[in-house]
Amino acid sequence: MKIIIGWLYPDLMSTYGDRGNIICLTKRCQWRDIDVQAKNLTPESSNKDFTDCDIIIGGGAQDRQQGIVIADLLKRKKELAAMLEDGKVGLFVCGSPQLLGHYYETADQKKLPGLGIFDMATHSGFGKPRLIGNLVAKTDLGVIVGFENHSGRTYLGNVKPFGKVLTGFGNNGQDKTEGAWYKNCLATYSHGPLLPKNPHIADWLITKALEQKYHHSITLEKLDDSLEWQAHQFIVNNR
Amino acid sequence: MERILIFFGKLISVVSSATNLGAGATWPGEIALRLDPDILTPLSQKVRKGIILVAGTNGKTTTTLMLKTILERQGDSVIHNGSGANLLNGIVSSFIQHASWTGTIEADWGVFEVDENSLPIVIKSIKSIKLKVVIVLLNLFRDQLDRYGEVDVIAEKWRKLKFDCLIANADDPLIAEIARKAIKNVTFFGLDDPSQYMEKMEHATDSTFCPRCGTRLTYKGIYYSHIGDWSCPKCKNKRPALDISTWDYPLPGLYNRYNTLAAVATAKTVGIADQNIKQALQNFSPAFGRQEEFTVDGKKVKIFLSKNPAGFNESLRTVIQLDAKQILFVLNDRIPDGRDVSWIWDVDFEMLPENINIFVSGDRAYDAALRLKYAGIRDIRVINDIREAVQNDLYILPTYSAMLDVRKILTGKKIL
Repeated sequence: MKIIIGWLYPDLMSTYGDRGNIICLTKRCQWRDIDVQAKNLTPESSNKDFTDCDIIIGGGAQDRQQGIVIADLLKRKKELAAMLEDGKVGLFVCGSPQLLGHYYETADQKKLPGLGIFDMATHSGFGKPRLIGNLVAKTDLGVIVGFENHSGRTYLGNVKPFGKVLTGFGNNGQDKTEGAWYKNCLATYSHGPLLPKNPHIADWLITKALEQKYHHSITLEKLDDSLEWQAHQFIVNNR
Repeated sequence: MERILIFFGKLISVVSSATNLGAGATWPGEIALRLDPDILTPLSQKVRKGIILVAGTNGKTTTTLMLKTILERQGDSVIHNGSGANLLNGIVSSFIQHASWTGTIEADWGVFEVDENSLPIVIKSIKSIKLKVVIVLLNLFRDQLDRYGEVDVIAEKWRKLKFDCLIANADDPLIAEIARKAIKNVTFFGLDDPSQYMEKMEHATDSTFCPRCGTRLTYKGIYYSHIGDWSCPKCKNKRPALDISTWDYPLPGLYNRYNTLAAVATAKTVGIADQNIKQALQNFSPAFGRQEEFTVDGKKVKIFLSKNPAGFNESLRTVIQLDAKQILFVLNDRIPDGRDVSWIWDVDFEMLPENINIFVSGDRAYDAALRLKYAGIRDIRVINDIREAVQNDLYILPTYSAMLDVRKILTGKKIL
């Protein structure tokens, strides 16, 4: 079995240790003898480079870089939408979920179009405090822990939230929703290295990706995750 | 008026140190500023020769200490925020501490490290003085994004500043561009030593795109992070010509070459002869927590403050070169460290060789251990009491508050 992980625009969208998610997925595949390849998706990549991937990972960008990213993504809008509608596995953390909605406004209130795959939109946090701190949320896959730092406020339409905020702000600091979940794609404001401290989410992504690719149900070999859960539990206990 | 504030400030300083409240490095200035927000202007006028401000993500403390050492060697007296309190209140505090009880300030120079975000307000406060004001811009790396904001945000603030005399790092594209746009006669420092080029680019790089046109930069060679001999293939923007590129370096580590070059370039600018600079730096002893060495139970312990990916990678590279056999990482997530520890995933721990004993400690020891596990390190010991790691000669890489804790535990003193 083989998995290809596609990392969206690493030198534009890697602000808060986003590499942690790639390292985590790669290692957890290798420890189980699953063949794994991580490749960078850049403006120079072809659409086929995108569709060849089994898992798509998106990270956080500064406003200027996010503008460059969305310009490139919009050029591939049809292919990307078809891919995700078809059940391609994805994890979008920090600023990258904003790209999937109908539109988003930057901190200086510039309105930029999104891909419109997720029924949601992000409003500028101009004049409002940034939403910063540890984030703990309850999801159907279990509790997740992370750290959020964003100014944008995201409001969901007809898409289900990834989880319910237990500690922190989540999508907008008001309605307790955190992230979004559409088909096999997870979106969360928890930024950077989400997966190392949430091994259950990492394994869900790997399982789904293998099932999508090989069309049969998959049970992953168990790993010793005691250190992972100690780090996870530390956040839960100190929230 | 400021004489009264100085007296008052000194009183606070004495009380806070006598009652062991700590924070003596910021409170006197904080209270003086609340009573007179413009107090830095009259205070800075009292300095006889000039003011030097050093800003940048990494290297401020070491660079200012080098400058202080050089200037004092010439017989000049220097006001300096050596404890690292580098906001406006810390700088005002160091004036108050230096002053006599009657409010007299006797000093030739003010040499201050300045926090990235505070640079505009500090420059504004002292710009009305007739003295020489020298600004030194070292570098800009990602650091404590929850507190400082992203690199672009700081660069934007610096672009609006007015400078008279500027010393800048030519090898950092963003710094070079800000400096070049600001004034004509910038003194540029940088390295010209291809033997120090990295084999491949580090992961945690911020400014790899042309600050002028946004095209991906090409490098003849990279020294570390995004620091190197850069040029833009599209708009022909390139590294400025270097005014100084080599010196007899008193400390190990590539980053200390930059700190040394910055200090030397500044000293030359204010008229100190090469020979005198050389003598002054010959026996330079490092600032607290910056490659500081002491002996604990007969074992040599060396502390390398490591608080962001670029600095951390350089510390790692240096201790590996020094043939470390035992390393302790101490990761805290308090306000001075930044509450967010995500950045440890941008550090290239994968470079650690196999034969080193690894210990981790601190508030977020499990996060550090997890990062090391995914870097392929098998044997990681998580310890509560850092003294457990002092079984052999030891290198300690702590974040800022962790460094203070480590010093307190091993030497009894947090700062100086």
